[in-house]
Order: sequence, then C-alpha cells, then structure tokens
Amino acid sequence: MNFLKKILDSSEKHFTGSGKLKGLEPVFDAIKTVVFFPSPKNQYIPFVRDNLDLKRFMTFVLISLLPVLIFGIYNTGLQAGLAQGESLVFIQAFLLGSRTVLPIILVTYGVGLFWEILFASLRKHKISEGFLVTGLLFPLTLPATIPLWQVALGISFGVVIGKEVFGGTGRNILNPALTGRAFLYFSYPVSMSGDVWIAAKNTVDGISGATALSILALDGEKITTALSNSGFTLSNLFFGFIPGSIGETSALCCILGASFLIITKIANFRIIIGGILGLIVTSIIFYLIPGGSDSWMDAGPLYHLCAGGFLFGISFMATDPVSAPGTNPGRWIYGFLIGFLTVTIRVVNPAFVEGTMLAILFMNVFASLLDHIIIKNNASKRIPNV
Amino acid sequence: MENIKILKGFKTRITGMPDLSVIQMPDPETIAVSALDIPYIRPKLLVKENDSVKTGTPLFCDKRNKCISYVSPATGIVKKIVFGDRRRLQEVVIALYKNIDKNLDKNLDKTLDKNSGKTDDFIQFETLPETDVEKIPRSKIINLLQQGGLWQCLREFPSRDTADENHAPPMIIVSLNGNDLFSPHPKVIIENETSFFEFGLKILKQFSNRIIVTSRKSSLDMLNGFKDHITHAVPDFYPSWDPAVVLYQLKKTREENRSWCITAEHLILIAKLLLTGRYPVKRVVTVTRKNDKKPHLIIRQGAPVQGLVGHLSDKYIITTGRFNGRLVDPKSHMGFFENTLNIIPDNHKEELFGFIQPGLSKSSVSRTFLSCLSNSPKDLDANTHGEERACINCGYCTSICPVDLAPNFIMKALFSDDIEDALSYGLLDCCRCGLCSYTCPSKIELTKILSDGMEAHYKDKE
Repeated sequence: MNFLKKILDSSEKHFTGSGKLKGLEPVFDAIKTVVFFPSPKNQYIPFVRDNLDLKRFMTFVLISLLPVLIFGIYNTGLQAGLAQGESLVFIQAFLLGSRTVLPIILVTYGVGLFWEILFASLRKHKISEGFLVTGLLFPLTLPATIPLWQVALGISFGVVIGKEVFGGTGRNILNPALTGRAFLYFSYPVSMSGDVWIAAKNTVDGISGATALSILALDGEKITTALSNSGFTLSNLFFGFIPGSIGETSALCCILGASFLIITKIANFRIIIGGILGLIVTSIIFYLIPGGSDSWMDAGPLYHLCAGGFLFGISFMATDPVSAPGTNPGRWIYGFLIGFLTVTIRVVNPAFVEGTMLAILFMNVFASLLDHIIIKNNASKRIPNV
Repeated sequence: MENIKILKGFKTRITGMPDLSVIQMPDPETIAVSALDIPYIRPKLLVKENDSVKTGTPLFCDKRNKCISYVSPATGIVKKIVFGDRRRLQEVVIALYKNIDKNLDKNLDKTLDKNSGKTDDFIQFETLPETDVEKIPRSKIINLLQQGGLWQCLREFPSRDTADENHAPPMIIVSLNGNDLFSPHPKVIIENETSFFEFGLKILKQFSNRIIVTSRKSSLDMLNGFKDHITHAVPDFYPSWDPAVVLYQLKKTREENRSWCITAEHLILIAKLLLTGRYPVKRVVTVTRKNDKKPHLIIRQGAPVQGLVGHLSDKYIITTGRFNGRLVDPKSHMGFFENTLNIIPDNHKEELFGFIQPGLSKSSVSRTFLSCLSNSPKDLDANTHGEERACINCGYCTSICPVDLAPNFIMKALFSDDIEDALSYGLLDCCRCGLCSYTCPSKIELTKILSDGMEAHYKDKE
C-alpha cells in the first residue's frame, strides 16, 4: 500500500499544475481514486453521508453482469464447437470462447476509454464510472463473429453520439451501449442480423445458424414445434445453450443478474417487473387472437420471455437510470411499454425479428416525457406553497 | 392522540444515544449570545465591550423589527464582541460576574451588590397571572415576549423566520423533540415543568385556535401523565418529528403554509418568563459521540462548547445536528436554538480499493454493503465517501424525502433558473433535513442547493 502510494505521489507532479502530462490529468485522477478511495470532510449540511458512491454503484452493475459474461464466453465456445461437430467440455469451450469474446471486450474498453479520456481532458472533468458499465454491456449485445473494426466503430458512435454530444454522463437521452449497437445493426445488417455467424476456430468460413426469433413454422406446423425441431426447446432457451449475441442467450443468467441488482437496490425493480408484465400481457393478447399459429404471434409468454435479448435488455439496458424515467409511476409505464413494444415488433413487424433494442431506445426517447407528465401531475396534487 | 403516518426517512440505527440521567453543570467563566444560529437576522448591537449587563439586558436586536431583542443570559461585563467576515456579528461574549475580580472592575461595583454573593442580577419584567390568560390582550403578550428576549422562539413557515406578530397563524406546532436524532429527551425537558408547559399552551391559544403537540413514539412511554397534551404521535425515525414534516402531513389549505412552530423547551421558557418575570437561563443539552452514553447536561444558555466536549484532536468535527445543524468551533459558544452537540470522527484516510470493500460496518440506505445484513447500530463519520459526479437520476433522493419532493428535479429546475417550476414542485415544503444529500451516490450537495434556492426566494420576497 505504501509502495503504491509512493508511486502515485511521485508521479502526481507530472500530471498536475505545469507538468508535462497535464492533458492526461483525468487518467491519473481516475487511477488514483480507484486505488485510493477519496473521502474528504463534508463542508455543508448534512455532515454525515451514505457510504454508497458511483464507483461502487457501477461496480455492482459489473458484478451483476458476471454470470451473463461467463456463460456468454462458455456458450460462444460451445456453439463454435457444435458448429464444427465437436462437443466441448466446459474448460475447452470457455477457453475457445475467451479467444473470441475477450478481444471484443478489450477493443470496446480501449476505444471507448480513448473517447472518454479525450472528452474528460477537453472538458476538464473527471472520468465518469458509467463507462465501465457501457464498455461491458456493449460487447455482450454483439454476436461473437463481429469484425473488431465494427466493434470499434460501434462503441465510438455510442460514446460520442450517444453520450458526449449531449454533454456527457448524466445528460444523455439514449443508452450509449444500445445506441452503438443500433448503429451497427442498421449499418452492417449482415454481421448483426438474426442469422448470426457462429465463431469457429481456424475456419475461414463460419457456419450460418439461425437465432430463435428468426424461426418461422412451416405450413400447418405450430411455432413451438418448429422451435423445438430447430433445437430451441424452452429449456434450451431458458438455460441459453443456443446461438445468439454473446450475453443475451441465457435467461437464467439474466434473471440472476437482475435479482442481484434488485436486491442491492442498484436497479429499480419497477422497470424490470413492469417490463416482464408488459411482455406477458401483450404476448397473451397476441396468443388469444385467432390465427398466426405458425409465427411468433402464437408463441405465448414463456417463449417470448426466454427467447432473444428481452431479459438481458430489460435487466441491464432499460434499468440504466440516466436514460430511464426518474419517477416511480414513470418507471412502471416505461417498463411495461418496453415489454409491449418488444412483443409487438417481434410479432407484427416483418422487417425486424428482434424488438428489444428498438423498444428500449424508443422508450428512452419518451422517458423525459413520462417524467414531465408525472411531475406535473404530482405538482398539481400538492397544496401550493409559494 | 392521532398517529401521523410517515413512510420515508432515515431508518438506520446509529450509535451514541445519550443516557437519560441528568448532570447539573457549574456556571462557566464566559457565556455568549451567538448570532450564527439565528436565521435571517440583521443584528443591531445595543452594547459595547466592557459594558456591564444584567441577566435580561438586551445585547442586540433585529434591524428588521427593533422590538425583538436578544438578551443576556448572565450577569457580568461584555468581554468581547466577535465579528466574522464582512463584519457580520458572530457572538457577544460575557464574562460572568462571579468570575471577575471585583477590585479590577469598578464598573461592576456600581451595578452589583458586592456583598450579596449571588450570581445573577435579574432585570425584572412584568408578570402575568396564572389564571384567566384569555383576558390578557394579545398585544401585551407579544410586547412582554419581545422585551424579554423570547419572541424569537416562535418561528414561521415556510422559511422558519421569526414569527410575524401581525399574522394570525392557522396552526402552531409544538415539537417535543429537537432537530437531531439525539436531541434532549422530552422526559428530561418536561419533568417537573408540566405546569409551565400547560401555561405555555394557554398562551399559544391566544395566537391560534389549533395547537398541535407532537412527540416521537419512542418518547411516549416515558411521558406518563403527560400524554393528554400530545395531539399527534409520529414514527421514530428522523426527521418525522420535524415540524415542517408534520405540517406537510397535516395541512389541507394554502393558508396553513404560514403556520408557526415552537419547541417544547422554548414554550416552557416563555411560560417561565411570563410567570416569574425573570429571563430563564437554564438549558438542557446532550453531547453525543459514537459508542458513548453521555448523560443529559443542564447548562446556562450560551455556555462554551469547549467545556461541554472537552479537548478534542482535529480528527473530529462538532455539529449542532449531524443532518441539519451547523459546524461549531470548540472555542465558540452554544447558540440560543441549539441543544445538542454531535462529536463526529473525521476518518479522512484514503482506503485501498475502498469502493469495493465488503463494508461490514458501513451504513448505507442501499444494500451494497454487508452491513445491511445486521440491524446493529452503525457509526457515522464526517466524510463524503466518494467524489461528486453528475446526477444519474437514480431516484435515491426521492425515495428518502420525508415531504415527497423530487430533489433531483428541483435541483435541475433551480440550475436552469426556473424558480416557478421549482416552487410548483414544492420547494418551500423542504424541511432542510439533509437526507437527499446524505443518500446521493453522486455526492451532489442537494440540500445546499435547495436551501439556497429557498433562501434566495425568501430574501427576494422580503
């Protein structure tokens, strides 16, 4: 500890005042405050403060993402093995998956941090911890086969256009990770479409595999039968041994992460529960409408819940507090409508097989409006005091 | 007795609750009347250094209403008048008569009887009869209280400035509990003073038809024989007993925003002044420190802080309320409105990877520390635990605000100079309890921003 302290103290002069590396002061500050947690004396009332700060807040989101991340790496290797006709044990699959997933994560953090540091230096503010979360969420939404240059381009768009042009963390309207993903989705549909390429070691050509949401039943067949026939049984969808984006496949891991966030009060449970309710109600309504038994219209709530990226999105993306509403009724409505829109896009819109990303981004835009309505309504209920 | 239902507040148990035993402290060498704890006052000095004063002599008045005087709680000579920045009055320090070498001070010989040996020479004010208070005109009571230096006990919402004598308040809230969690226990304050308290209530009835007397639920058991006077019981977490929170819960009309409030201790002082004609000088205070169970202390008003807290290293700060008091210098004196001193450790050390420590004893309203698994009392320290960041709209402040404000949205309205919006969101209902700043993970000074906004609006109106 003393050793670390000495290094930091001795190098501080290069980064502050008229030091040569003045421009990199935010980087030095970020490293220093991560190693040695700052806790100055309070100057104003109240003279006591809660122990939770943003560093811990964001770290807890990262912890909640661990199950999804570890399973995602394993599943990537597993699917790559399956695509080559091999059945890999856990360690093998995990190592194979790491080779594909870790470069994506490293590129995301590297490129994203570059933009964060650049803007922090230009605007002379501290580096926000929020990027730690964005930088892990973004790779988890990508298919493992994506070219790394697209990763770099996507996170650049997400950080710069999704966040920094609005003024940085806390002022962004859209979720930066999803903004980056949406950019890639519409710019490079081949890499991002429902037919993802499965990472395959040492193969020049990957093997194409459909995701669950792009399945359509043949004439007279039920959608659930068609799904089972393609390997998308409900239990596979729940545990996640299916092709798809790195982090989204396992409903179980998403539920674990979401529970952790709810128990520690880091994420607001209203958004998650509201979203699941919205999805269930909407999928039941579609189920009850006659016809459509060969499409996702007839899949019912359980399939809708476990397939695609809905649970990942509602647990980790929609609960980003900055782009979500700040009022409790607003959070319920926001969550519910994300669930509703997800199913609606999946069922009704033939152009997009997956609706979660679009539903969340769409509701991000409406979050401020929801807040506005709720706050005005609350204000009108108060006894005026002017 | 009605129960007021309040759901939000600071529910963590903390250490340092004072003991219910009482110790009478000897008179100190100096006492002072502080101007630092009197909100909005523009003091006008009425004495000079080396003037001799009696107990009850006015030391300064409020320029805004010169009838409202602040009087000396002891007999002696004005030793020093302390000014702060921009010559703002801080304290008028008085050396107590009994501690002055009489041979050295000739002024005093003229005013005091050398041989009597008594410590106080009281200014005798007019007294009121104990019965038929209803027949006494309101203006006379106002006059006596202003002269006697106790009118300022009555505070007027929403700014909690000194009550406006020309205004008939729709409600007066009498609070048995003080501003801090560990302010003096009502049992200690009211014990043996019940008749004064009852007289005080009669006086208040001359000002308003609706008198509310509130107490924490935990205090009720100790107040046997007194319960009939308590109209409303409030939950036992901070700041449910704050009169602003009670007012928010009870008010039905717009007019009630200008209600008055007073503490039980001050009400007893008023009754004593009016019945005996002498300025009451005794106060009950608590000194709290983690893991300590210090007794309640009976002191003279304005006693030096040093004498109450002892010698402390600079590893501590002293406040008159950990959430909403002020920082006090150990060399200064207790203020008129203050009756608790919290000694809070300043643990300024840079913890290695502090943001990810398990935190077995760290208190938090979130559940991100292992401490949430046990309900044992926690220690609080005087540190921020992190750095200021942009608001991330997490809603922690909204979910703890006892008067249902959304401090984050009010802050944004104030930052964009949209005072109309801030007011419509309920800015003036803010009770300055400090919980929004306490809980904010971005460490934004929400309470300061909100109370600065309220103050600017109030001064603008004045």
